[in-house]
Order: sequence, then C-alpha cells, then structure tokens
Amino acid sequence: MTKRANFAVSVLFILFLGAAFVWNLILPDKAFSESENRYLQTFPSFSVSSLLRGEFTQKAESWCADQFLLRDRWISLKARLELLQGKKENNGVFLCEGERLLEPFEMPAPAVTDRQSAAVEHLTQNLKVPVTLGIIPSAAELYREYLPEGVRNDSQRAAIDRICTRTHTASADLLTTLKAHKEEYIYYRTDHHWTSLGAYYGYTALSEALGFTPASLSSFDIRTVSDAFCGTAYSSSGFFWVSPDSMQTFLDSPQELRVLRYDTDVPVSGVLYDETMLQTKDKYRFYLGGNTPLAVIETGNTDLPSLLIVRDSYTDCLVPFLLAHYSQIHLIDLRYYRESISDYVESNGIDSVLVLYSLENFCTDANLALLAG
Amino acid sequence: MVFSTVVFLFFYLPIVLAVYYLSPVKYRNVWLFIANLVFYGWGEPVYILLMLFSICLNYTSGRIIAGCRTEDPKKAKAVLAVNTAVNLLLLVVFKYADLLAATFNRLTGAGLPLPGLSLPIGISFYTFQSMSYPIDVYRGDARPQYDFIKFGTFVSLFPQLIAGPIVRYKDISDQLDARHESIGQFSSGVRRFVIGLCKKVLIANNIGALWDHYAAASGLTFVGAWLGALAFSLQLYFDFSGYSDMAIGLGRMLGFEFLENFNYPYIAKSVTEFWRRWHISLGTWFRDYLYIPLGGNRRGLPRQLVNILIVWALTGLWHGANWTFLLWGLYYAFFLILEKVFLIRFLQKTPVFGHFYTVLVAAFGWMIFQLDDLASLGAYWRSMLGFGGNGFIDAADIYWGRSYLAVFMIAVLAATPLGKACYAKFSEPLRSVLTPALVGAALILCTAYLVDATYNPFLYFRF
Repeated sequence: MTKRANFAVSVLFILFLGAAFVWNLILPDKAFSESENRYLQTFPSFSVSSLLRGEFTQKAESWCADQFLLRDRWISLKARLELLQGKKENNGVFLCEGERLLEPFEMPAPAVTDRQSAAVEHLTQNLKVPVTLGIIPSAAELYREYLPEGVRNDSQRAAIDRICTRTHTASADLLTTLKAHKEEYIYYRTDHHWTSLGAYYGYTALSEALGFTPASLSSFDIRTVSDAFCGTAYSSSGFFWVSPDSMQTFLDSPQELRVLRYDTDVPVSGVLYDETMLQTKDKYRFYLGGNTPLAVIETGNTDLPSLLIVRDSYTDCLVPFLLAHYSQIHLIDLRYYRESISDYVESNGIDSVLVLYSLENFCTDANLALLAG
Repeated sequence: MVFSTVVFLFFYLPIVLAVYYLSPVKYRNVWLFIANLVFYGWGEPVYILLMLFSICLNYTSGRIIAGCRTEDPKKAKAVLAVNTAVNLLLLVVFKYADLLAATFNRLTGAGLPLPGLSLPIGISFYTFQSMSYPIDVYRGDARPQYDFIKFGTFVSLFPQLIAGPIVRYKDISDQLDARHESIGQFSSGVRRFVIGLCKKVLIANNIGALWDHYAAASGLTFVGAWLGALAFSLQLYFDFSGYSDMAIGLGRMLGFEFLENFNYPYIAKSVTEFWRRWHISLGTWFRDYLYIPLGGNRRGLPRQLVNILIVWALTGLWHGANWTFLLWGLYYAFFLILEKVFLIRFLQKTPVFGHFYTVLVAAFGWMIFQLDDLASLGAYWRSMLGFGGNGFIDAADIYWGRSYLAVFMIAVLAATPLGKACYAKFSEPLRSVLTPALVGAALILCTAYLVDATYNPFLYFRF
C-alpha cells in the first residue's frame, strides 16, 4: 500500500462514520414512520434508574437505528442486493411477475385451527339466530403458480376445509368464487387485502348462506378514488420501486346512511368512506375509517333484517355491498371488544351473525376465543 | 454492545476514535478504560461491577505474586492457586450454575431451584484472558503491571472483549505502556475491520438464514441436510473469524497488534491442522495453561492421550453450558487421538482425501455443537448419512439451493486464501486505487444490511 492509499482508506472510513454521526445528530428526530406504521424511538431521557435497568442503553440503541438517515433508501438498497444474489424475496415477501408481492401461507398446527373452530362452534350453539362462517383466502393461494417452485406455500384450501369441517356452523365458500375470478383485479398487488372488486365476489359467495340475491356487477357505478396505494407487503418488502395500487368504490355513500363508531363508550358518527385517509400511507383505512371495537351502520332501509359481523379489516370494503340487504349492520372487532357476543346479539335484536375473517387472521388471532363467552 | 450494529458503528466508534486521537498520549489509556466499560455495560450495566471485581482480583494477585515469587515461592503458589480458583468459580457460577443444578436435579431427583443468572457477555473470554496474567507473572514470563488503569484497559479492551481473540497479557504488555499509532497501521486496521464486517454482515448473517431454514425444517432430505450443515459450517466460520478480524482491525486503529486467531481452517488436511488454524488463541491458551502443565507429550504416549482427552473435554465445555458441548469436545479428542496414533501419517500422503475428511469431520461436528439435544442430532446425522427416509432431494432444496448459490460460492471462495493471492497479483498502483474504492463500497453495502436488520414494520394493521 502506498502512503497515499493508506491515507485515502483512513480518511474515507473516518468521513463515512463521522458524516453519518454528525448528520444523525443534526437531523431532527422523526416521531412516526409511515412505512413501518409505528412510532419511532426518539432520544431517550436519561435517569440513573433507567440506566441501571438497562433501559436507557436499549432505547438509545433503538434511537440510533430508528432515526438513521435515509432509512428507506438503505432498506431499498438491501432489497435490491438480495434480488441481485438470485433470491426472489426480501423479508419474507416475494416479488413476482407483474409486480405482484406475495407472502406464502404456512399452515399452523391443527390444534391451533381446531381451537379457533371450536370457538365458532361455541358461538353457534349459544345463539338462537343463524351463524355463518366465511374464511377469506390470501392472494398466495390464488396466485401460487407465481411463486418460485419449491417455496413452502401450504394449501389454504386444506386449511379452510379443516376449519369448516370442525364446526357445525354453516360456511360460505369464498375461495371457489374468488378463484374463478383470479384473472381480474381482486387482490391488491402491494397489500394483503382484497380489492373492492374482490369484496364484490366475496359478497356474491356469501349471498346464498346469508339469504339474499346479490346485485349484478353492472349495476354499480365504479369510481377510482386513489391510484397511489402502497400496502403492507410493499412496506415490509423494501421493494419500494414497485408501482402502487389503485382503489375503487362501487357505490356512493347513501344519504340516509348513519355510521356510529364506538371507539369509546360514547359513540361518534363515522363515515362509509373516509377521504382524509387517502392522504396517509395506510390508505386502506379509507373504507369505514379504520379499526374500531364496535360500529353500527344504519342503512336507512327500515324493513330489512339486521346483521352482526365479527370482522377483520377485509370486511371494511365489503360493507357497501351489504347495505341494500339490511336495516342495520353491526361490526365487532374482537381485538378491542370485550363484552359477550351472545348478550350483544340478544339485547340488540340481531337477526343473523356472520363471522368473516381472512385465513391468516383466523389462524392467528387469539381473541377469537372470546366468541365462546 | 456488538460491532455489527448501527449504534456501534455510527455512534460509539466515531466518539471513541475522535476522543482517543484528540487526547494527549498519557490520557489515552484512561479514555480507553472508560470506553471499554461503557461498551461492556451497554447490555447489562450491573455486570460492570463483575468486570471491575475481576480486574481488581487479578491485579492484586499479580502484585502479591510479583512481590514474593523469589523469596517466598510457596506463598506465591498459594496466592496463584486461590486466584485461579476464584476466577474459575466466577465462571462456573455465572455460566454453568443452571446446567449443574439441572443435572444434579435429574440425577438425584432433588428440586434445586435454577439460579437463572443471565450470562455476562464475554465472561469466558475475559476470565481466561485475565487469569493468564498472574500465571505469567508467577512463571516469570511477564513483568507485573503496577498501573491499575493499564491493567484494567488490558482486561476490558473492547475490541476483543466479548468474542476474542484471547489476548495474553505478555503479548501486549509493551503496547499498554507505549503505542506508536501510524497512518499505515490505522489504514490496515480499517481494511481488516471492513473485511470482518463484510464477513459477518454480508456472508454469515446471509447464509445463516439457510441454516435456520434447515434447522427448523421437517422431512429433511439428504441434499437438504448437507445444504444446512455446510451453511452452518460457513456461517460459524464467517461469523467468528469476521468478529476476530474486526477485533484485530479495531485494535490496529488504536495502535494495538493482536495475534491472529484464524488461518483458513477449512483448507486444513487433517483435524490436527484444522485446530491449528481455528480459534488459534484458545488452542494456544489451553496448550500453555493446561496441556503443558499436565505434562503434554513429555510423559509417554498413554499420558499424552489422557491429556488430550482432558484438554478437549474442557475445550468443549468452554464453548457452552450444555453437555452436548462436552460431547463435541470429546468427538474432537477422538479424531485427534486417532491422528496422533496412526492416521496422520496416512493423511500426509493423501492431501485430497485429508482435506475431504477434515471438512466432513467438521461438518458432522458442528451439528453436535449447534443442535440442542441428542434426539435432533441423531435425526440430523441420519439425514446427512442418507438414512433420513425423506429421499435424496426435493423441490424445496432446489429453491433454497438456487437462492443461496451466489452466497455459497462467494463464501467457499472466501474461505480459501485464493482471493487474497489474486489481489496481491494486481499491480501496486492498481491496488492503491482499488482498495479505497472497495472499502467505500463495502461500507455502503454493510450499512444497507445493518439498517435493514433494524427495519421492523409494525404490521398489526395487517388486520
């Protein structure tokens, strides 16, 4: 090594570390990361007790990492480097043909799904009104041929069948209907949710079990509300160059419609479509304004039955299609709602109950046990 | 603290280096001592007290031994014995208490509560490092250190504190008194550090995902078992030698020269040679402080074989608090004894076979090292031997093999001295341009992987 090269190496190293150090110090702390959907660690306050507990150093370490300059660029660079090595995925998300991001499904142990089925069974036994179970598959089932051969991607058909046969609850076969329309835009490419069109086909699949005649697709007035939706798969993958999805509505919010959200005990009025959410990263919250423990929708149709949906977020873009068939639609989110479901059905005169979950959430949400109460 | 983190690389290290070089020479050891304690206490601040106790203990013993080793050798010997015992006791309490209590319970049916102490990082390394000092003083191999700060700096020196190399006091005693930092040494330190960082971040962590997959996979095929075993063999080498490279590099940036710890172990042609190339500082330590005092090879072959057995049982256990590590040590003792008795003469005649055999022994050995219990070890070995009952290869193996082919090839190449030899063939002017460019590129790539490791999308909104 020449003296000049030694000098160059040393200066380069010091400048790289030093510049990042100074830049990170000068850069104001960001409180929230949209792409990670979480609060970032800001500079921790110091106290002797937090130091002794090891809490200060832990937070300081998170602070360094969370506030690191050009964070998203580094993540994206790493994603590109992974693809360059011949890998087809990054952070568990596969980049498939047509910029479709897929997360393979792993079947949980049978004991896990059996426990969930038993909870649904309990609910059905406890109620006098009919209960329907609907399990929504994920895109990895419909587009499994897009994944490289040899990737573990368990059959969602098998999982759904197992779940449905372990309970006497009537079930709707959403998978078959959705699969028949897989060439259409029924799942977002960058997100795990179904699109409004996917929800429409879900609605037709549910119609028989719920006992209504679905409206035809041509009767809807389809409007694109955003073409800049980058979903969860996009965020976790680091494939930040993938083009965004578009979001549609199929009908406008009816004049007579009233939405009551029980974010706390005191209800506030909500909306079918929350335009303000389209300005945020998590645009899917446009539908019904995001998660809430309990929401009650009065459709304005007085002489129709009422429906309770035990839901996850897939339901949010399905609700518009159901409006025409019910007088009231009640939405309960078991992650936040802690009262008895049977009591709720009884005291609110609910006519039928739909338990509607995506397969992934059905398998993993421990709160489903609350159905038995 | 760990080297391959954002906080170390972009906060701790710039501050340590800046203050170090801005300080007058006589305060540099003081600053290093403080920096070492911060580094050590980062994860578990209370264990700084343990570290300080260890420093005081060995410092005091060293002084007492130095004071009486000529006129009162008996006293010196007694102090040394007590000191060694206390050091080992600390190691046993903090590292092996759970294992011993659980074993005792299992053998006697007693219900001793498990102490459940969290393992102080690097205790195996710094205990060995600091207890060698009074021994060296007793033997007259090292002059006693009267400056507490210097001694404390030696024991807690952050570059090799938590994963070696195990630096003996006598090897760096002169450097504690006077170091002559230079730009040449600093630059070679940077190059070495960056090489180590790449080994750890780009290769070890990367190929580690392949091992993680196969360690958890069910229905292991023959090819799958070997992909996993080789992935782990490479992961461990690049992880550990990368750490040693970073330690040596950081040492040079601060003016220290540590001895080498790895020398391309996977090119060895016998297990004996493998262990002269793998974790050299540990082998040296056991040789100097256990094997030779036990008589080494000077008391006849049977005694030598017993000595090998003792040394390797303890070497195994040193690696972790689980009886599988004892088994792993004895596994190596078996091959070393075999070679000592007759095999080595044969291996020297057939280097290609020797090389093959060494890699096989290592790969099977790492499975003892890494799998937690004998049942999973048995299942894994069966698959490696083709008796797993899950066939030769399946589609998943092809997928995983293809995904990691590039890393695998880079790793295999980088485990040999070929790359280094090729680079040395480049002309001096070319290397002078290429080296800084490579260092810069490597830093950028490693930063991308380090930042990504902290990327943690909160996907509860997946609901």
